[in-house]
Amino acid sequence: MNRIRTRRSRTALVVVALVATGLLATGAGGSVAADSRTGGTLTIGLAEDPDALDPTLARTFVGRMVFLHMCEKLYDLNARLQIVPQLAAALPTLSGDKKTMTIRIRRGVRFNDGTPLNAAAVKTSLDRHRTLSGSARASEISPITAVQVPNNYTVRLRLNARFSPLLAQLADRAGMIMSPKALDQLGTRFASAPVCVGPFKFTSRTAGDRIVLDKSQTYYARSKVKLNRIVFRIITDTSARAANLRSHDINVLDRIASTDLPAIQRDRSLRVLKATSIGYQGISINIGNKNGLGKPFQNVGTPLASRRALRQAFELSLDRKVINRVVFGGTVLPGCLPVPPASPYYDKTIKCPGRDLNRARSLIRSTGMSTPIHVRLMIGTDQVAARLGQVIQSLARPAGFQVDLAPTEFVTALRRQDQGNYEAFAIGWSGRVDPDGNIYQFVHSKGSLNNLGWGTGRMDLLLDNARKAATTSARKTLYKAAFRVLRSELPLIYLWHPVNRHGVTANVKGVRQYGDGLIRAYFAEYR
Amino acid sequence: MGAFILRKAGAALIVVFLASVLVFVGVRAIPGDPALAYAAEDRDPKVLADIREKYGLNDPLPVQYVRWVGLALQGDLGTDSRGLPVAETIVTRIPLTLELAFLAMLIGTVIGITAGVIAAVRRGKASDYAATTTALLGLSVPHFWLGLLMIIVFAVNLNWLPASGYVPFREDPVENLKHMLMPAIVLGTGLAAVLMRQMRSAMLDSLGADYVRTARAKGLSEWSIVGKHALRNSLITVTTVLGLQLGALISGAVVTEQIFGIAGFGRLTVDSIAQRDYALLQGVVLVVAVGYVVVNLFVDVAYSLINPRIRVAGTSN
Amino acid sequence: MSYVEARPLGARARRRRILRRRFLRRPAAVASLLIVVGAILAAVFAKWVAPYPPEETDFEALLASPSREHLLGTDDLGRDTLSRIIWGARASIQAGFLATVLAMVVAVPIGLIGGYYRGWLDTVIARVTDVLLAFPFLILAVGLAAILGPSLLNATLALGIAAIPPLIRIARGETLALREEDYVRAAVANGANDAVIIGRHILPNMTSTLLVQATLTIPAAIIGEAVLSFLGLGVQPPTPSWGVMLNAAQPYLNDAPSLAVYPGLAIVIVALAFNLLGDGLRDVLDPKTER
Repeated sequence: MNRIRTRRSRTALVVVALVATGLLATGAGGSVAADSRTGGTLTIGLAEDPDALDPTLARTFVGRMVFLHMCEKLYDLNARLQIVPQLAAALPTLSGDKKTMTIRIRRGVRFNDGTPLNAAAVKTSLDRHRTLSGSARASEISPITAVQVPNNYTVRLRLNARFSPLLAQLADRAGMIMSPKALDQLGTRFASAPVCVGPFKFTSRTAGDRIVLDKSQTYYARSKVKLNRIVFRIITDTSARAANLRSHDINVLDRIASTDLPAIQRDRSLRVLKATSIGYQGISINIGNKNGLGKPFQNVGTPLASRRALRQAFELSLDRKVINRVVFGGTVLPGCLPVPPASPYYDKTIKCPGRDLNRARSLIRSTGMSTPIHVRLMIGTDQVAARLGQVIQSLARPAGFQVDLAPTEFVTALRRQDQGNYEAFAIGWSGRVDPDGNIYQFVHSKGSLNNLGWGTGRMDLLLDNARKAATTSARKTLYKAAFRVLRSELPLIYLWHPVNRHGVTANVKGVRQYGDGLIRAYFAEYR
Repeated sequence: MGAFILRKAGAALIVVFLASVLVFVGVRAIPGDPALAYAAEDRDPKVLADIREKYGLNDPLPVQYVRWVGLALQGDLGTDSRGLPVAETIVTRIPLTLELAFLAMLIGTVIGITAGVIAAVRRGKASDYAATTTALLGLSVPHFWLGLLMIIVFAVNLNWLPASGYVPFREDPVENLKHMLMPAIVLGTGLAAVLMRQMRSAMLDSLGADYVRTARAKGLSEWSIVGKHALRNSLITVTTVLGLQLGALISGAVVTEQIFGIAGFGRLTVDSIAQRDYALLQGVVLVVAVGYVVVNLFVDVAYSLINPRIRVAGTSN
Repeated sequence: MSYVEARPLGARARRRRILRRRFLRRPAAVASLLIVVGAILAAVFAKWVAPYPPEETDFEALLASPSREHLLGTDDLGRDTLSRIIWGARASIQAGFLATVLAMVVAVPIGLIGGYYRGWLDTVIARVTDVLLAFPFLILAVGLAAILGPSLLNATLALGIAAIPPLIRIARGETLALREEDYVRAAVANGANDAVIIGRHILPNMTSTLLVQATLTIPAAIIGEAVLSFLGLGVQPPTPSWGVMLNAAQPYLNDAPSLAVYPGLAIVIVALAFNLLGDGLRDVLDPKTER
């Protein structure tokens, strides 16, 4: 009897211990407690977890959203996607030969650790962007050969060639200036506690969960900042994100999925910020990437690679409107160019073709190839990609194409694209303000991301001149010609421009979204 | 007793070592250039080469392994592709899965044992039939489907419970439990079904045993017989089952966390594989291996405490 | 020599008749057998049974409610749900059977050898099996999918591997028990060699237990395939599979919840049928384990 009683109490003890551990453990899982809503904390639900919060190394789209709130740049965009000065005092001046750019720095600005912003600090950051091992910015500002500091508030950039897109690059991560003191202390670990100039400063980050920013006490325009704190919560599941917005657990939602949109639109307590992206989505066709990125081109021999007529037929078998309706519930903007209609470089005279099965079939017949023509299409592994792939399959079949889908995880897909180990890939580009950022590296024969393995002398000439051209109208003419080449050769079939819809609770005002798709809540406030 | 624990611990250590080697090699068997995980959108070959240099991906494997183990023993599991310490990420996310597993085990055990006892005591009657059929259903219903259905009924239609997400217990216990209730039920039903069947058969065995007949003959009440004798001796079965179901619980947690949007450890495992984040993946799988071995060790020891003769009831099935 | 056989010939046919009668007296077992056979037939003859091809889209009838044209409605691409469920049975039945066969082929010999020869080999087998018994199969499946790529075949492989440890345990347990039987002892005393003893005495008497276990392993494999396809590690869209359909239903829980109901119901019905069948077989073949 005694043994049994001890056993029972022993079991009881174990149970109690487990319960206690359980509760303690969950307590340990609690993160920094959020301030009360009325105290001015804004919670933004992000669709992905940003990578390293280091402007030199960062590569993700969502990372740019976080940077917007804590790391200002030399230049920024305004609502009309024009470039305006931010840490610079004014737009830069260019020398006569356009190979020297002079930038004046704004005065009276302090980093979030109190140190002053001056030309030396700008030089430190720019040099780091140019030369740090593993820098993602180096190729963006590669024409810069030297950064000079003639006086405390002036920076002079020397270029080895004319480079019109430079200003746009300085309006993105390449223009972000980091605190030299923090760089000194942290070096390559800058991302663990980043310090820049910003309306908010970095407080803490839990991987895969949240990033916390607090109001900066040293920001030069403090009076415009109304919130005390911004919390970025990472919620990768789209319906979970939408559910959180509807329950007001988050105030702002990054990119509402088309399947969640109707419920959010019906909700009176929510608003939707809509802006067409400056990027594109489409199908990249491997034409000559047989040996890998950067190696000499060699036609890969697939049907789509070997015959331009087949690429044209493929495009004609697709129906952009149906794709929009069925895959996205009509929420994206069909298109056939690398820049969206809102861009000043867009060519209104180019009309996107509708579906034309007859012409598609006759194009196929003209090549003499027997149907069905096999196309192996690499797509993503998410549900939207699955829908897209299956719709493309359905649309292309009656024309005589047999599309086989290869759902591939993203990183692997990028690797295969670089190696040339693919036939066609449904992929897009988040977009850059300057059209060069949407075109050059993909279709110039020396482009750093040209994994299509395609390039022509004529296209190269057009793009190089567009880089050097001084006026917008000159560049427009050049890009217009480039678009015509793209439309007839179709190395890339552009299908649509994403329309970024961000959700906001109605009790918050001042949250903005420009065409670059980034959430801007730095001057937001509660009503 | 002490020697027994020492022997078991020694064996556990060997298993952990083997597991670490396996993990290390296995992660590298996954096709995909590890440098790419750190490179995201930018794939300039020079950048990739720099990354490989920086993370020591060019060194020979044994060197990389020793370096990794050395740091791991100090609690440093390296940094992932975001520049965040892996150990910190793991430590932050484990409690969520632990809470989920704990609640699921609680719910599953309570339901399973109660149902099993009732079914055994009322054998052959309606309640036995009902309980047995429910248990059978529990084995035939994919628990992730159950989760989807519960979301439809309780979150979308009735709006009683949140569809997804997680609130830390320390922040708001009520919200925490509201968020955990459906996931825990979903995860616990499989366990309840298995427990119920095992409990029922174990109870039936012991209720038919000689000493129970003697107790009945002595005139003890039915309930005290059930309570004292049969129940206690069935504890062995329960422990065995719980130990065996641990793996199923972990598997279940992965899917449950996915459906209910809980950023727990289960999801981390799958995500790190999907994102080819090798540092994270290594750390995660190592923790899983170590945890698994430790829990097994714990169960072994607890088991021997409950039954010093280490006699397993019902070996052949 | 007649007494080397476990039972004389005539009795075998008689025994089968008794078993059949016992089986037919259980309505649950009969019903489940009918459902199982029905599911297998539907899977094999899907092309003729299903009203539409599973990949045929209809962009004018997205997310349609049940109607005369589409008895269970359509999905987000306008495909007929009923047809996709019928075709989805293929992946499930395939995975269920193949995984079980694979597991049996590997586990039974190992369990037999361990249980028969005992000694250090058996100890190793038993220990390793015990450790692997509780291993979370999903981790294995995810790892396999990461290395080999996701596909129905690799998912089946993972499921088969996961089913091996419990089957080893059962085969070993049965062997241990059977080798103590009188007729086995007699055969040993008579000098019969190991292969004969195993092949003629032990293995045939294990078949009923193994059959029951196989029938109970199949539903676990079916559910496992659904889980893996749900996570994207098994069947890849557009090939229909119940797990894939449930995955695709997730964004529509608000607007079209029925998309999530029917595939799940199919899984439940088929898995339940196999489970009931297995239970029924066990009751019939070995009444002393009456539960």
